[in-house]
Parts: sequence; structure tokens; C-alpha cells
Amino acid sequence: MGGRSANAKQHRRTMIREITNRLGLGFTTCLGLCLLAAPALRGGVANLRAYPEYLRVDPFGQIVPEDRAAIGTQAAGAHQGQGRRSISLLGARGGYVSFHLVAELSGDEGYSLELRLAPENSGIQTDVYREWFHSIQNAKGYYPDALIPIQLPYSSRLPEPDNRISGQKAQAFWIDLWIPPSATPGLYHGRAVLNAGRNRATLPIELKVLPADVPERDVVTVDHNSYGSSWLGDQYPGLAEELPDFYSSDAFFHLIQAYHRIFYEHRGVFHQLGYGHAGKVGPEFAPALAGAGRNRHIANWDLYDRHYGPLFDGSAFAGTRRGARPIPFVYLPINPEWPASFVNWGEPGYEAEFVNVVSEMERHFREKQWTQTRFEMFFNHKKRYMGFPWDGDEVRFPKDNQYFVEYARLLKKALPPDTPVKFVFRADVSWDMEQQFRELQGMVKMWISSGGILSWYQGAARMLQERGDLVWYYSGPPGVNEASATISKFPFQAWLWGVDGFVHWLAVDPGQDPWFRLVDGTTTVVYPGDRFGREEPIPSIRLKIQRNCLQDLALLDSLRNRHPLEALKSEAAKRYNNSRLENWWNPRPPFADQPAFEWTNTGIGEATSRTSKMLESIRPDAWADVHAYVMQLISEAP
Amino acid sequence: MTFLCLLFVMSGLPRSAAQGVPPPAADLPEQLDEVARVGSVMVDGDLCERIVTQRALTYMFEVDPRDRWAAGDNYDVDDAPFIEVKKTLLRLSHLVPFPADVNLWMPIKGRPDKIRIVIRNTHEMSQFWPWGALYQDMIPQMKTVLETGERITVTEKPGWISVLAPVSDSLGDVVGVLEVVTQTQSDAHANVK
Repeated sequence: MGGRSANAKQHRRTMIREITNRLGLGFTTCLGLCLLAAPALRGGVANLRAYPEYLRVDPFGQIVPEDRAAIGTQAAGAHQGQGRRSISLLGARGGYVSFHLVAELSGDEGYSLELRLAPENSGIQTDVYREWFHSIQNAKGYYPDALIPIQLPYSSRLPEPDNRISGQKAQAFWIDLWIPPSATPGLYHGRAVLNAGRNRATLPIELKVLPADVPERDVVTVDHNSYGSSWLGDQYPGLAEELPDFYSSDAFFHLIQAYHRIFYEHRGVFHQLGYGHAGKVGPEFAPALAGAGRNRHIANWDLYDRHYGPLFDGSAFAGTRRGARPIPFVYLPINPEWPASFVNWGEPGYEAEFVNVVSEMERHFREKQWTQTRFEMFFNHKKRYMGFPWDGDEVRFPKDNQYFVEYARLLKKALPPDTPVKFVFRADVSWDMEQQFRELQGMVKMWISSGGILSWYQGAARMLQERGDLVWYYSGPPGVNEASATISKFPFQAWLWGVDGFVHWLAVDPGQDPWFRLVDGTTTVVYPGDRFGREEPIPSIRLKIQRNCLQDLALLDSLRNRHPLEALKSEAAKRYNNSRLENWWNPRPPFADQPAFEWTNTGIGEATSRTSKMLESIRPDAWADVHAYVMQLISEAP
Repeated sequence: MTFLCLLFVMSGLPRSAAQGVPPPAADLPEQLDEVARVGSVMVDGDLCERIVTQRALTYMFEVDPRDRWAAGDNYDVDDAPFIEVKKTLLRLSHLVPFPADVNLWMPIKGRPDKIRIVIRNTHEMSQFWPWGALYQDMIPQMKTVLETGERITVTEKPGWISVLAPVSDSLGDVVGVLEVVTQTQSDAHANVK
């Protein structure tokens, strides 16, 4: 197919760009390299400092207020609470280690930065990103978050011209060191070098690669949700204006796939819901239909297959470090108005339209061998948006459950009993989850639950998993102006709870002006690369910290064959925030015996206050302490 | 129902024809006006009054600083009248060969300065609804429809055409407003959220 060929071409271009960005620099085992503690400074106007990932530095060289709490604690003490003039790192194979590298200058001068690492066949790769400093509404000062991929040597000046911060004295860089599974365990040395006029500073880097391997599979699925695709046109105006048929162009589909890739490379998954609350379906999210009643059928798969084909067969991920693999989950476009028209609801024509089209979909997926992905029938609509008379999302009134029962019946009728295609009925639940767990048993097989209310039902996750269901919980990204480790609490809680995943309900909306007036970042963990000439998203510090947390969780969980899982969880919780496992649950409140439509948000708030209070303030170095525990355990491994 | 079937036969337009066909530039207001005229006859105002529950109306204006979602979380409808009216609205929208929606709006007893949308439809179009609002300030043109029972064409928002038409109950009182709406350039990706 022409589309497939163009796809491959674009993908190659992207890969070449990624590869060049990785610098291709390997660390060398030059054990004789001296770790010089002091840089060659002339006049003290050029400094290079390294900070652990949880200490973010502002454009004036100060640690941001929310991370300063870490200074003086044990973990921060190991880094002296300030930037260090050398850094030693420890990591497992098949994973990343990261740190901030900060160039400090007297200001208003040019500089260049490089990492002088003797090339070697270690396979270890370095990704370097310039940290963008955001001005945040309702907060004082600047915070780094968006990460702009750069190539080294990197030359610029302070103040950084595009970031436009008067009096800027420091530029931070996020350094990712990728240790491939093939890397030889041992010590690797290198150095970063900063040149500014006649001044020069060096920072020695030591990396110890352990023989342990970060498991490929995550123990917690972290999902990044989004709605529709009009936001892509908004966030990539250059591309959208350049292409009159942007929403059906190859560039559009490559952009969508780039979002899947960035989350995949950060050990996450990406969801795009393709329909609205009254049933409008975006053209690329569903095959085109024709006919009505018994004659309703799929007329055209073109846009759907161009959108999803490379995602379902994994080719969209070719060349990534994690390897080509089909996406594990996807929303179906099914809603009360698609594929059957609601005008026929309750009549034989509704069933005919639904069964005809869903059967065709199953056949198409089977013929394409798209059998690795879970295809989710999910109802997102709410009555309050006036499209339909029942809540698909977060049922509060039990009478609405009858619609789930009917759709389960229709889905069952549409699918061959032995289909290898993984259709799954998903429900996002809160108020009425306890009743839904009972009444929809055997129908709904994927539960995305309110974290607050799920915290009352300690045995629920296990009960659901034992009958073969998946259980995730949801919340949203922490603000950029919260402590750096805050994002770790979500996957960590999921692991402690024993649930399968966590959803950031909205992860791609940085607001109208993320660069100079970021609201707070609570609806995004990636940023559009458009401003920097990139037709793809760029990551954030929070996304990187989350990825590193997921690596540690995968490692920690893999140790359950040598340590009791409960002991691992207990020790990790203790190190994280000095908590005990029972502190991560709330008692089921007496009002839970009443119908959910009698509850109030105030009551729910009070009934979840124990965990919410415990988690409202996370130490910036909380995860560093867990990471140290993981490194200690895998270092002890035979 | 028989009358509606007759209309479909007369229009000669199968339901699927309404999907994705760009509206012709010329007589859009006239076509929408005809749908609105038929809608005023077909939509049952008594049924419309039974859609939104008393509970929803009670909470709609409740302000609780400790529970800012109370109004939305208590929004509920009686599904039988909702479905019956929605099906009629959907059928009405199929009278034209281009994407159009027929939305139902209703006033709020005791709050003459406010109005609310009650049923939206497939193309998620409205010239007046700020996305997510449970109620909003009375729209002057709708107030006129409610007071006079006359149909009004509104083209205030560039690219939008809405015809507002009265919905009457069995007493002959105007109890609601239909918004028959289309866009001269439809956006396939708007409101997919």
C-alpha cells in the first residue's frame, strides 16, 4: 500500500533523527580516567553541576522551592543537597539512569556543552534534553518541565534566546543514559565539558552497570488518556495549515503514532477516545458505515486502517529501544449512536446494525491478525452532557446498569465464541462500583476505578482479578509546581494495591501557552514539539521520573521469587513515606451501605481523607529512597 | 408516527444520506425552517416536561462550596420520555440531506432569566450551548420564541445557522424550543471529546 510505504519512509526519517539525537556516544571502560573533583575554572564564571533527578534547578541556579525539602534528608545528603562536581550512577540493563546537568554562567554570554565520552561498543547511549523553564500561573518563579531533545555539542547563550528569561544564570539539561540489555556489567567513565569564552568546566561521570535486567514487561500499566484529535491541529498549527487535508494526511497519522511511541518508550500506553458525549465519531476512529437497519455495513476501512494498522501490527514501533510490539489497548468507537443509530434503540434494527458492524470488525481484525490488542467497548458519555439518557461513565444511578447488560448481550451476539480477537467490555466506575462489580460480573472485564472509592474496597482488586478481570485506577498528572517525586505515587499505589494499571485521565493538553504561561501542567506530561521544528511530542521531566519509577517497580516485583512480595511492599512503603501498607487503604464508610445516589462528594472526601492527607505532600526524594532499596537488592542478587 | 413516515417518503432521503454530505450554500435556512416547522408539530411538549427529574432540577442551582460537582452528579433524566423525544429529534434531523442536529431547549420554572439544553444529538452542533453547561442565561431569541411562538432564524455566529421553533404542550402553552442547526462548513473533529 502507498500509505504503508509512505509510513515506513516517515518512520525511517524519525528514527534517523532519534538516532542522531542519541549522540551515538558510548561510555568507555577507561578505568584509568581520573575523576577530577574540581573543574578547571577560570574566574568562577563557568560551572557544571550535576543534580539527582528529583532536584530541579531554576534558571537562576536555585533548586525549585518544592524540591528544596529534600535538602538535608538522607538521600539529598548523599548529593550534598547541592549540585555536585562529579556524579556516580548505578543502573540495571534494559533501563535508564538519569540526572540533571546544570551549566552555570555569569550570564549574557555564549557557551557550548559536550559530553566527552570515549566511543566504545558498550551500546550505552546518551539522550540529552534542554530543560524548558515555564512560568506558571499563580506560582512564583520558574520550573523546568518540557524537555527539548538536543544534539551535542550544544551551543547557545544565556539568557537562552527562546526561553526569554531576564537574568538567567543557569541552564539545566536532562541526561538519560540508556543501558541496553546487551551492555557488559561494570564501570564506565566519561565527562561533560562546558566552554564559555575562555572558561572551561568539566564534570566527571561514573556509571556502574549491574548485571540485573529491568524486566521488559511492566508490573503496572500506566495509561495516558486523551480525547479526539482536534488538539493535534491546535498544537501543530504549522503542520495543520501546511496540509489542507491535515486530518487525513500521512503526517497526521504519523503524529498520532509519535504520541504512541513517546509513551511506549517511557513504559506507558496511550489512549485516544474517538467519539463525543452525544455520539459524534471522529472519521479516523471508526470505519465508514453505509446502509441502515439490516443493511448497515462497513463501507470503507481506509482511514481506520491507516490510523491503527501500524499500531495493531507493531510496525509503528519499529526501531524503538523497546522493540516493535502491538499496542496493548485501544478504544473502540462503539457508543450508543455508533455503529447502531439510537433512533432504533430498543428495536430489532438497533441489534441488527450493532451485530452486523461489530461482526465485520471482528472478522477484519482476525484477518489482519490483530490479536494482541485489547479492543475496548467503553461508554464515556454522561447524562449531564445531554446526549443520552444514561451514564456510561461513572454510573451513579443503578438503573443505568441495565444498559450495560444490554450492550454485553449485543457484544456477545456479535462475536464468534472462539474469536482470537480480544474484545473487552470496559467500564469506568466510581460511585456505584461495588454494585457494578456484582451485577456486571462476567460482562464487564476491565474496570477503571476511582482511586478514592476503590481505597475502601481492599479485597476488590483480587476478587476481580481472580475472575479474570483487569483493574486500573485513575487520577491525573501532578502539577509542575509540586514536588518532583509526586508523579511516582500513582504507579506506586497501583503496585501496593495489587491493581493492574493506572490512568492519567488527560495527558496531552498543555493549555494554550505552555511556554510562557503554563496553567500548572495537570493535564499533560508531554508537550508539542512544533515550536522546536519537531513533528512529534517531546517529553517532560515528570514523564521521565515516572518511567524511572516504573523501571524500579518492575525490578522490585521481579524479586518476589527471592523475597515475599508483602515484605518488598512493606519496605518500599516505609522508605517512600514511612508508611505501612494499611495506611494506603481507607476503611469502608458506613454510608457505603446506602445507595450511591445518596452519597455526597463531601462524604467521599471525608471517607478518603486518610490516604489523601498522607499523599498530598510527597517528599521530592521519596522515590530516590525506594530506588536505593531496589539497587541494593539487585546488587545483592547472585 | 404515520405522518413522519410519510415525510420521509416524500423527502426521498434515506437516513444514511444525511451523513457527511456538505450542505449546499443556497437554501439552507429554508430547509432548516421546514424541519423546524415540522418539529413544532411533532415534538410533544408534555413528554418533554417529563424528561428531567425533579432531583436534577433541585440540585441544578445548588451551590455547595464543599461539593462543586453536586449539580452535575445529581443530573438525572427519566429515560422513557428522553428516548421517545430523542428519537423524534433524530428523525427530524434526517429530513435534510446534510449534517444537522435538532436540539431541545427548555426554560426553567421560576428562573425566567435562565434556559437549559435538554437533548443534544449526533453531530454535537449548537450555536448557543457552551460545552458542559447545565443551564445558561436566557438567549434573547429563545425568549422571543417562548413568548410569541414564532420561528426565528439565527446566524449570529459566523458559519452557523440555527432555526428556533416552539414546542407546545397539550394546553397550547409553549414549553420548549427546538434548535435546528447546521454549519456551512462542518468540522468533523469538533466536540469529539
